[in-house]
Amino acid sequence: MKRLYLPLLMIVLFFSDSVFTTVFPEMAFDGKYFIIPRFFTVGLLLMAIFFDRNTAIKYGFLFGFLFDIFYTGVLGAYMFFLPLIVYIVSKLVKVLQNNLFILTFIVLFGIFLLELILFQLNVIIKRTEMDLTQFMSLRLGPTLLLNLIFYLLLALPLKSAFEKLQRIYND
Amino acid sequence: MPQFFTNKRLIILLGSIIVLVALIGFSLRDRENLSWPEQFVKDIVGLGQAVVSKPANGFAGFFDEVKDLRNTYEENKELKARIEKTAQLESDVARLKKDNEELRKVIDKKKSLADYEPVQATVIARNPDRWYDVLTIDQGEARGIQPDMAVITAEGLIGKVKNTSKFTSTVQLLSAYDSRNRVSAVIQGKSNVYGVIEGYNQEEKALLMTKVPYDSKVKKGMLVATSGKGGVFPEGLIIGKIKKMVPDEFGLTQTALITPAASFNDLEHVMVTKRSMTTVFPEKAERKQVLVEEGNL
Repeated sequence: MKRLYLPLLMIVLFFSDSVFTTVFPEMAFDGKYFIIPRFFTVGLLLMAIFFDRNTAIKYGFLFGFLFDIFYTGVLGAYMFFLPLIVYIVSKLVKVLQNNLFILTFIVLFGIFLLELILFQLNVIIKRTEMDLTQFMSLRLGPTLLLNLIFYLLLALPLKSAFEKLQRIYND
Repeated sequence: MPQFFTNKRLIILLGSIIVLVALIGFSLRDRENLSWPEQFVKDIVGLGQAVVSKPANGFAGFFDEVKDLRNTYEENKELKARIEKTAQLESDVARLKKDNEELRKVIDKKKSLADYEPVQATVIARNPDRWYDVLTIDQGEARGIQPDMAVITAEGLIGKVKNTSKFTSTVQLLSAYDSRNRVSAVIQGKSNVYGVIEGYNQEEKALLMTKVPYDSKVKKGMLVATSGKGGVFPEGLIIGKIKKMVPDEFGLTQTALITPAASFNDLEHVMVTKRSMTTVFPEKAERKQVLVEEGNL
């Protein structure tokens, strides 16, 4: 029964992105900036670090697939790149030290990478007319800031949750 | 440092890149509607999304209401002044409507391009990654919604239905960057000026209406509405007001910048318009006649 907490937690994180987008007033700061919540991705990366990498890759694949179908309509983008980011980040964690301070930078790097890849993808398929400087100033900065705040608030609770879940799964 | 990619992983990576390209190609193809597995997944996620977003919207609505309360006094004063004019307008509209109906009966033309049947819907999600301005609403095929129908709010046109599943539909906003996002529109004045709305200027926050004749007398503040001539949207949906006119690159036509009447942000309740006159082509029998006539020429 307690094993259900893991999918439940990920589902909550999955919907939290879109709920944030609907609740957060878009015209804040003149509506100039694109502030993108990546709460699910932050959760997924923490899951890869504190729970299990391969499970995180599977979750990234599945929820990325749902994200593509329901929100963006471009099949394959999140489905493929979320697992890739999880893989790269977990490799980085193995090389670098594993404490929450260093992890902040690694997780932010993961989000940076995801944003950059999706920006390039959207430029290629002509779904945006943003150029790189606009992307950096209007989108990347505010997005990283928002997710940094989210990480600082929820890294510890998520860490303990994933560690508890790991004990449950190991029993 | 450990080896980053072993052979097996390299094969998986290359394989998935091929699948990725194929999938993206598949989803960007010019297709009418989603395939059934996509519709199925959309319905299930949409159910969860609706459950989550209703309380969230209520929560956000609470703060908006508090904000509204502060402006109530000012608004009330202004509205009272306007209400006197409205009564006169209302009676005018009723009279004109009746006139219109009677005249239509006289010339035996029952359907009009302006007729539509609104379907109320609630926005349950907005694309969180915001690369592409799309919304998801909680009504779908089950209520008769079809791709390409116009979507409006009380203020005016906001977009069109991109695709549908049984119980949800995706709405593409006018501000989405898509070269196929075109609306046939008319600038209402003494003589109507027709043009096509294609594109949105993010910096000016204005819609672009191209191919306006260079000698047309269009002034700032004139109303722009749908013309109904594109074949899908009903006639007479408000789009916005002229902000300014700029000559296009060759100087042969002008481009109008239009401030949209409806805001594309923080949408909650929208209406999908089911146009009652579905086709712009003449009926089949009439068409034959047209062909014959052309043949005689």
